[in-house]
Amino acid sequence: MRLALYIGRRFLFLIPQVFLISFITFVLVRLLPGDPARLSLGPLAPESSVEALRAKMYLDRPIPEQYLIWLENAFQGDLGESWVNNTQVIDDLIIRIPVTLELIFLALILVFLVLVPLAVITASRTRNWIVRVFQNITFGYGMLAGALPDFLLGLVLIFFLFAGAAGLMPAEILPGPEGRLGILDFEPPFVTGSILIDSLVAGDMEIFWSGFMHLIMPVFTLAFVYGAPIFKMLRSQMEGALKADYTTYAEAVGIAPRIVLVRAARVAAGPTLVITGVVVMFLLGGAVLVERVFNYSGLGQYAINGIVTADYAPIQGFVCFAAIFTMLVYLAVDLIHFAMDPRIKIGGTES
Amino acid sequence: MFWLRIQRTLKTLPKWQLGVLAMFFGWIFLTIFGPWIAPFPTEVAEPTMRLLPPSGAHPFGTDENGIDILSRVLAAPRTDVVIGVVATALSVVIGTPLGVIVALYESRGGAGSTAFAETFMRVLEVIQSFPVFVFAMVLVAVFGGSVTNIIIAIAFVNTPVFVRIVRSDVLSLVQRPFAEAARAAGNREVRIGFRHVLPNALPTVIVQVSVTVGFAILLTAGLSFVGAGVKPPTPELGAMIASGAKYLEIGQWWAAFFPGIALGLIVFSFGVFGEIMTQVMEPRAVRRETDRRREHALETGADVPEVSEAPAVALERTSDPVLAVEHLGVAAADSRQPLLSEIHLALGAGHSMGIVGESGSGKSVLVKSILQLLPPELAVTSGSVRYLDHDLLAMNKGAMRAMRTTQIAAILPNAKSQLNPLTSVGAMLRSALQAHEKISAKDAEVRAIELLEMVGIVDPAQRLSAFPHELSGGMAQRVCLAMALMYRPRLLIADEPTAGLDVTIQRQVLDLTRKLAEDAGTARLLITGDLGIAAHYCDTVAVMQAGRIVEIDETERLFDAPRHPYTRHLLDCVRV
Repeated sequence: MRLALYIGRRFLFLIPQVFLISFITFVLVRLLPGDPARLSLGPLAPESSVEALRAKMYLDRPIPEQYLIWLENAFQGDLGESWVNNTQVIDDLIIRIPVTLELIFLALILVFLVLVPLAVITASRTRNWIVRVFQNITFGYGMLAGALPDFLLGLVLIFFLFAGAAGLMPAEILPGPEGRLGILDFEPPFVTGSILIDSLVAGDMEIFWSGFMHLIMPVFTLAFVYGAPIFKMLRSQMEGALKADYTTYAEAVGIAPRIVLVRAARVAAGPTLVITGVVVMFLLGGAVLVERVFNYSGLGQYAINGIVTADYAPIQGFVCFAAIFTMLVYLAVDLIHFAMDPRIKIGGTES
Repeated sequence: MFWLRIQRTLKTLPKWQLGVLAMFFGWIFLTIFGPWIAPFPTEVAEPTMRLLPPSGAHPFGTDENGIDILSRVLAAPRTDVVIGVVATALSVVIGTPLGVIVALYESRGGAGSTAFAETFMRVLEVIQSFPVFVFAMVLVAVFGGSVTNIIIAIAFVNTPVFVRIVRSDVLSLVQRPFAEAARAAGNREVRIGFRHVLPNALPTVIVQVSVTVGFAILLTAGLSFVGAGVKPPTPELGAMIASGAKYLEIGQWWAAFFPGIALGLIVFSFGVFGEIMTQVMEPRAVRRETDRRREHALETGADVPEVSEAPAVALERTSDPVLAVEHLGVAAADSRQPLLSEIHLALGAGHSMGIVGESGSGKSVLVKSILQLLPPELAVTSGSVRYLDHDLLAMNKGAMRAMRTTQIAAILPNAKSQLNPLTSVGAMLRSALQAHEKISAKDAEVRAIELLEMVGIVDPAQRLSAFPHELSGGMAQRVCLAMALMYRPRLLIADEPTAGLDVTIQRQVLDLTRKLAEDAGTARLLITGDLGIAAHYCDTVAVMQAGRIVEIDETERLFDAPRHPYTRHLLDCVRV
């Protein structure tokens, strides 16, 4: 009941928020320099045909009307057409969204497999040498991850693992920045858009392996740089929970250490979850840079190309998707957090 | 005050942080003077000198245009750091007043302002849900890639952060007494907000600034890296890395390497500078808890006259004690200063002993060392703790755990903070029961209800699903009491069991504790700062001062004829 009420309330806000997102995006993109009709037809086209195209694209109408037309089309799944490639934006997005999501989710999985156990270990109150070693490693990691830009780390990895560090190391340990697959590899038939899943569905282990090898460096880059806030938050929360009165008291009652640890972790999980939601938003931006470094044809590359060529519709589609996706992630995070923590009130704004 | 804090912080910094601080000022120096001290022109191409490896003349080599990389790296901070700093300053200048205004409006109360606040926060959420990098990229594309526009874009995406933190800070600050006082003095709300409240919110803002500057520099470099930021030939690290990246794969590493190192070091030194600023702004945040406790113990120890006389111990030896503590000493692991020394006490079966003394005298450390719950930074240095014929100090953890609650039970201060906020009363009781016996969840629930009834909680079946924040302090204490006495233990150690409760509730809880414990034949060690409680509920009383027991005697005799000066001092305080 409490949960249902909360969900209802949040969805009530979600709808105007989504409209606001689409409107901001629309206005911003309309402000981009350049006349799309002229750009589409090229500099040599006669003025009359440019005018005709402008009318056809509703560019001669006032902005609010253009927005309503765009919104109506968007509801019917028509996000416009890229004038550079003459493709439907919605089709491009369907192909490219899974590429970027695959990177982001694999990075998050890597963070949770490696960094979460590390955070719990280093938060431990016992101070034996294993914990100390891990603490020193993670101290260095925290320093490095905060200072190393994602694109730089990507380049460093390429330099060492592909280029062989100017002869210091064997070259091509991992495939270079050539995208999701080698030049001679064929894309598996489109099912979900994820290279790993699609190649498995097609039963093509060779492509699976190639896709996997191509994913290692970009996923590691994202996980390394964007895992740091999650790691730091979880560790400090876990340290706090293990030091808290209730943990000492649970020990004093004689409750099994495993249960004491799980209950402390539950307290630490809430804020960690919230920060994870924010990190997913930053991962979308990070993916833009990392895709650029590794030549991944995902959403990020799509957006950069759109911006460089002043291609309205793709930018609009991408920014709108990114913002709505982030809103949904925030919503999911809030719902899980709400279900986990009985202290959160239904009303009230968070600080 | 501010300079004093800086001085104090500088003294406590580890050496490497001082080094990084020096480097930070090095970057600031380059930001100001870099372009003038560069040995070669930074924007003039030399096609004959393309991509020369590092050498004497060009220590960092030359780039694809034949320009000296060292010169460009020296000149680049002017671009990156200035953009980062100015953009952050802009976000602060816009975001801070906005945050104050929203908070002031919101704190007026009433449905209108709540709705306004909720709407405002949701709109802010929308702006923040645009991925920062992409949003900045679009803004730069819209308004063009001049340095001014890059600054505006970066300032825009960072402004909501400042609105948020200032708003939440001011919201909590306007309810503080000093703001009330300013209001009572007849100041207008706006003036209170900006003159009285905002200065108190500044430390948080400054800490956030130091984080944001580093982030803004990274953002600048990232934008330039994808070609949506500063355009060549202006020396800028992100663009330099991008132009060098092409040659990385074919072994010409220097063109991307040196700008990369420089960018990493700039962001790193700004980050460390931010951490140092945090310490300057919030000196309390970094001092470790143990330091504070130790200092507190030392300070309070120094206030009163030194432990001047030999302890006055006038008790006959208790035969067959339940609990016997001898020569117990405890110290912080990294210091010689003892927190407890030469503690002796013996508690007979079914008896009750009070331990009194002011805060910081070591009472709670004594409890934790008897219960084997000392935090890792404290260690027992001497003596023994015996329960019946068990040596608790030598006992392994598993055996000790089996005895907890069943034989040795504990009640700790502030019951509400002793209960895990996310564990319901029922789950807590069930896990406590299941820790010591094989019992099904269903039977455990029945037992839990009985236990809550025993401690006088009305409607116990309902309470099982309650969480600690839904309990009153007295109710939480009763839950803890139920857990402490559920196995009729031989020994109950109650540390400030009534701290934070109303006087009437205090009596109820203590009376109940005594009744239940007497029924079960439980010996009690009651730690309290309240001499009245000790007098009323204990057979014997021990007085602690600065980590020692200075006097221990039967209650009546101790109160009628105190022999140690510190005991007299304590009693005088109460009797005034």
